[in-house]
Amino acid sequence: MTADTLSAILVSGIVLGSGYALMASGLSLVWTTLGIFNFAHGVLMTLGAYVAWTVSDSAGLNLGLAAGIAVTVAALIGVGILIERVIVRPFYSNRDILLITVMTTLAAMIFLQKGIQLLWGARLKQLQPLVAGNVRILNTTISAQETLVIVVAPLLLGALWLFLSRTRIGRGIRAVGQNPDAARLIGINVSQLFIVTFALSAVLAGLTGVLLGSVRLLTPEFGSDPLVKALIIVIFGGLGSLAGTIAAAYLMGLVEAALTFFIGIYWTPSMIFLMLIIVLLVRPQGLLGKVVR
Amino acid sequence: MIAALLVPMVVHDTYIRHLFIIAFIYGVVAASWDVTLGYGGIFNFAHVSFFGIGVYATGLTAKLLGLDPWLAMLFGGVAASAAAVIVAVPVVRLQGVYVVLVTFAFSQLVLQLVISQSQVTGGTQGMVRVPTLWLPGYNFLRDYKFGYYYVALGLLVITTICLRWLVRSNFGLSIKALRDSEDYAVSRGIPIAWQRLKALVASAFFPGVAGGLYAVYLRVASPEIFDFSTSSLILSMVLVGGISSIYGPIVAAFLLTFLSEGLANINNFAEGRFMVVAAAMVIVLLFFPKGLASALPTHFAKKSPGKASAPATRLERV
Repeated sequence: MTADTLSAILVSGIVLGSGYALMASGLSLVWTTLGIFNFAHGVLMTLGAYVAWTVSDSAGLNLGLAAGIAVTVAALIGVGILIERVIVRPFYSNRDILLITVMTTLAAMIFLQKGIQLLWGARLKQLQPLVAGNVRILNTTISAQETLVIVVAPLLLGALWLFLSRTRIGRGIRAVGQNPDAARLIGINVSQLFIVTFALSAVLAGLTGVLLGSVRLLTPEFGSDPLVKALIIVIFGGLGSLAGTIAAAYLMGLVEAALTFFIGIYWTPSMIFLMLIIVLLVRPQGLLGKVVR
Repeated sequence: MIAALLVPMVVHDTYIRHLFIIAFIYGVVAASWDVTLGYGGIFNFAHVSFFGIGVYATGLTAKLLGLDPWLAMLFGGVAASAAAVIVAVPVVRLQGVYVVLVTFAFSQLVLQLVISQSQVTGGTQGMVRVPTLWLPGYNFLRDYKFGYYYVALGLLVITTICLRWLVRSNFGLSIKALRDSEDYAVSRGIPIAWQRLKALVASAFFPGVAGGLYAVYLRVASPEIFDFSTSSLILSMVLVGGISSIYGPIVAAFLLTFLSEGLANINNFAEGRFMVVAAAMVIVLLFFPKGLASALPTHFAKKSPGKASAPATRLERV
């Protein structure tokens, strides 16, 4: 393996990993705080990209990308709250909440995905890149938009970490994640924080959609593949650990880039799922996880 | 039952007959899913991929190896059961959310294998021109779906009888016991891993054969079978019909097949029907957690007090 191949694998792995890290952190946040897996997370990413496209594209409202991003954030806060209210909240007291919400969020995913197809049609769309041109890193040329993904993802994740560790609401969310009963006893409004968590996670998914919507083509299934990868990453990283999730996301990006290079694009997804099953068998708590919930 | 036998005599429209055939096939898949999901309490997310494995196993053996389509259908069932053994190895050792995730990953693995082996399976395009069923002196293609109707009905009847027998046998009682109180059941000597493995393998056989019938009937095998939409459609049949009842999912399979096909005929609403089905699933979970069967008038329940008072629908042991 030459130095050039190595750097090509590194760069494309980091591009992939950045996208995965954004997706998986939102999923992980909801899992840690509410104890549910949100299967609609991927379609929220699709929705974000489509809303941004409609507002910003010249074939849509043509208001520019800044307006697109603003409307996307607002729309996803709304959808996140709606999902929490309608299909998660009613089952909080149910002992089977985890399984019921697998089914309800799956239903929400189908509902939104087919809704997107009805509203926007199946025709491929693409967001305008925020930045044009190509950039050369480590002897590998990638588009400037991909570089933007590499730069923005750690910034957003850093902001998320600051929010969770420095602000009152963020600390509340972590407290609820650690022990909802104790959090309630010391006067934290748990149900309010559930809504904030869900909205925050939805916004993260939507922003991922905006970032990746100009790198890839938009289809109603745009978010399915990242969702599946994010699920795997959350498990690899160990359930309930944001740092583990992010580390696993980048690791996964690198592994995927390396596998694509060595065994080809067709075998890579199968190998990744096989790896997941093996990891779950040997270390159900995840590669980096310590505590089993 | 007699009414079902007479339907093709009264209904001559091939499209309506087609809907019946599809409903029979979905009924088989939904009812057998209930064995692991409802009775076993194993949150098995791979059930629809057993159906898909049946579709592809039958399609491949019938088309490429020239196996007789009747035998190929049976092979579909065997292949699905073999796949269930593979799924069961991790599943019997794991608990809770990990069962969901492993079975989910397994179905993605199968989908990826089907797509990646495009020279054999046709990849995302699917496989076409699967050989049809064949009897001496009888043509299944030119009888306005008359023959397929009875084959599908026969499969549903056989499946229902087998599943009823299965869940009422000692084996069925033991998997229910594992669902309701795992620790107690294990302490009474029920081998948990072995019983779960048997439940998965037994319940995978029927969707495998149904998948085989689906392949020889529609003459195509396409990867859309592994799609989330198919899973949620059949999952909603199980939930709407009420879990832990073999008949409930079958009735719901009819309701939802005809409902979703009826909606598909509305202009530009072919995709929208999945939205209606998804919404129906959430509404049923919200208001009738035990399935629509529990919403029937109470005098209906009084006729069979034993059934009505049974602690039917619990999903906890997963």
